[in-house]
Amino acid sequence: MTDLSRSRLWLMRAEFVALVLVILFFHLLPLETTPRNWAGPDLILAFACAWGLRRPEYVPALFLAGVFLLADLLLHRPPGLWAVLALIGVENLKSRGRNLRDASFAAEWVSVAIVVSLVIFGNRFLLGLALLPTPTMTLNLTELAMTLLIYPLIVLVTHGIMGVRKTAPGDLDALGKRV
Amino acid sequence: MAKDRSSSSDFTGPLRRLLLAVLVLALTGVFLLWRIDSPRVERFRAQVTDRFVPNLDWAMAPVTGTINLLRDFQSYQRLSEQNRELRSELRQMQAWKEAALQLEQENARLLDLNNVRLDPRLTFITGTVLADSGSPYRQSVLLNVGARDGLVEGWATMDGIGLVGRIAGVGKNTARVILLTDASSRIPASIQPSGQRAMVTGDNSAAPPLDFIENPELVRPGDRVISSGDGGVFPAGILIGQVAADPGGRLRVRLAADYERLEFLRVLRHHGNEKVPDTAHVITSDGPLADPAAPVGGNP
Repeated sequence: MTDLSRSRLWLMRAEFVALVLVILFFHLLPLETTPRNWAGPDLILAFACAWGLRRPEYVPALFLAGVFLLADLLLHRPPGLWAVLALIGVENLKSRGRNLRDASFAAEWVSVAIVVSLVIFGNRFLLGLALLPTPTMTLNLTELAMTLLIYPLIVLVTHGIMGVRKTAPGDLDALGKRV
Repeated sequence: MAKDRSSSSDFTGPLRRLLLAVLVLALTGVFLLWRIDSPRVERFRAQVTDRFVPNLDWAMAPVTGTINLLRDFQSYQRLSEQNRELRSELRQMQAWKEAALQLEQENARLLDLNNVRLDPRLTFITGTVLADSGSPYRQSVLLNVGARDGLVEGWATMDGIGLVGRIAGVGKNTARVILLTDASSRIPASIQPSGQRAMVTGDNSAAPPLDFIENPELVRPGDRVISSGDGGVFPAGILIGQVAADPGGRLRVRLAADYERLEFLRVLRHHGNEKVPDTAHVITSDGPLADPAAPVGGNP
């Protein structure tokens, strides 16, 4: 039993990393070389929030830091800044996951909205503080809006297809203990 | 059960918090290091990209091809309309071709008369675009040529027609091109008939604005913008685009390169402009230097 759940734990962790790599792959496809004045959703952050709220043990802090830093490096962002903000945001959500477990989806959505907007605008503020060029407000606002709009869909995919569900009372965790 | 849970969280909690603190510090450190010593971290980024992206090439090419095919399918719907437009454009082109041929002959004759030696060192390497920047905040593409092919930071990159950007970040097998539209791109340019100097400053829009024009009244929409070679990093005389005025009256460059389809890019080898260290000496002692200039002014 313990072996089984332990291998499942690592399988799901690997699945999360693979998911991030697939998202990065589609980001990097050379399809959009002209500037546009809207931004798509930040799928990596949204998936990290959804997974972290459901099963914090599937997305340990070390993995999160690694994939966010990799995304920063590959997507040509200032390395580390987005990563550290996103890491703090998701860890904060993880620590609140137990309280949100029994709450409705609306409550989860609101808390994710707060975290995502703090990450995006914190990033903007710190870029300005470090005397780096800040992107236009439209880009930030469309990114925020798109991320929040797509979040229910991401939860649906996480819950339905990937099978990452909230722990129910009486479930066993990876070490065979009750959660 | 409750006791069990609290004891386990007592045990893992501080460790987890310590790990989180270490990670936060490390990431902040990376950012600060990048802010202070950007070239070192950018080199690291180039290495990571170099390791990562070429491995995905086998999958990227077919997926990009399929998506482009689907996009093209939409344009097939207005095929007849496009055909008509193309025919009329072709008629205009034939007139231009005739003019170009005449000019080419005239140019060859004049070059021959002047005994001009074109710079033989301005050769190019062609690379294909592997990936784009992946985010709407930055405008850059990744090429499949790198330090292995002798690329150097700062070299100019163009498609068949006009300037596209400059190399920034060279890995072993890949190099990143910062496009002219990126917010960090600054290219010294000169505007053609009037000879005014200006900077093409990217601002994340499709038509970058022209800054620091000495005398904007001499610049008209439709003037040609070419690279000026100031600063010695860039070869002079590469076409950038045409001047256009936006509704607010600000002068911008309509870029000549086809940014919709960046597929093959040329990287121009450039070994720096040669400097003339003391101009006074050259002018006073080299009397013949003024001679070749005379027929140029006299011929046309």
